[in-house]
Amino acid sequence: MNGDERGTDRRRRFATLCETLRPDLLRFAFWLGRDRQLAEDVVQEALLRAWKSFDALTEAGKAKSWLLTIVRREFARSFERKRLEVTDLDALVAAEADVLAAEDDAGLTEMREALFRLDDEYREPLVLQVMMGYSTKEIADQMGLQQGAVLTRLFRARARLRQELGITVEPSS
Amino acid sequence: MNCLEFRRQIGAEPSASGAGIEAHRAECPVCARYQDELRAMDALIGRALAVDAARIRKPDTAIAPTEITARRPRWLALAASIVIGISVGLALWLSAPRPSLAREVIGHVAHEPDAMSGTAPITQATLAGVLDPEGTRLRPGLGDVTFAMRCVFEGHVVPHLVVRTARGPVTVLLLRHRSVSERVQVSEQGYTGIVLPAPRGSIAIVGRDLKDLDGIAQQVFEAVDWGN
Repeated sequence: MNGDERGTDRRRRFATLCETLRPDLLRFAFWLGRDRQLAEDVVQEALLRAWKSFDALTEAGKAKSWLLTIVRREFARSFERKRLEVTDLDALVAAEADVLAAEDDAGLTEMREALFRLDDEYREPLVLQVMMGYSTKEIADQMGLQQGAVLTRLFRARARLRQELGITVEPSS
Repeated sequence: MNCLEFRRQIGAEPSASGAGIEAHRAECPVCARYQDELRAMDALIGRALAVDAARIRKPDTAIAPTEITARRPRWLALAASIVIGISVGLALWLSAPRPSLAREVIGHVAHEPDAMSGTAPITQATLAGVLDPEGTRLRPGLGDVTFAMRCVFEGHVVPHLVVRTARGPVTVLLLRHRSVSERVQVSEQGYTGIVLPAPRGSIAIVGRDLKDLDGIAQQVFEAVDWGN
């Protein structure tokens, strides 16, 4: 394979990767920042960085976690670049309603509000677990935490959601 | 496992299972109910987290490697956003809701149009190289396989085949990672795709300008041996 062919192959493989994983990256970025414009910007920047270091990805099976890591870093950078505006959490569900895919009902709206209010440190592992289907080990690797710390955060995340939704934190008898 | 240990584990992983958990569930109905409640809550969380990526994404800014070498000027992005916003709104208005899996399948196929153009059969060794890791086999008689590759789809590596059946060429994706409860069909970008529940996950069959895609899909479905 000559240089041109290698370049074409590289572009083709990267484009395939973008096509297949971009929806998941956008979903993840949306729940990191709770803002669709920010999600789009962060994913755009993340893919730019990913393209530059595409050769570092040696195993196709690890592409998703590799890209999610880049999105996380890019999201953190977006905080460094600018002071983000203070967000009115109560208005978030209404503002982002058309992005939220499942059909609306009262319980769902309440849960979304609770998720929007959840601290970042609890929301992120919960999103990785419930939406991305990651194991606690994979979440630990992704977030650079001990597995025990991830379990604690997931436990607290659910406890807070139950509290927010008015469900007793202790099991019902 | 005592109640405290059970609740700690289940509180972090409601879907967890195993001998210890099942044993404690059997002897403690309160903890069993707690786990059921948390599982129900997780189902609600899953629905609440569902995001339609297509509504975040601006179609014409889909990244292509040749396009990401420089940032566009901010005003251009703003102007583009307005145009895209109108286009997306119009597209949403014109289009009925469609199953996202079938749409993503078509997106994948449309992205590799060259895969459909080959006519020479690939070797059995090449086909085996693509199917063997899955423990899958293609029974003879379906038609020539003219393309076989392991592609990344929804973050999983899946076999992507093109089979020239007697009634026309179709693309086949074997999606072991993705289960569907019923047949899903979508037509988009000139392609028609059908996703069928399979013994292991699902199978997607995509064709173009074919009269009896349903019949072909059934034929392909029956030709796949999913192994154990």
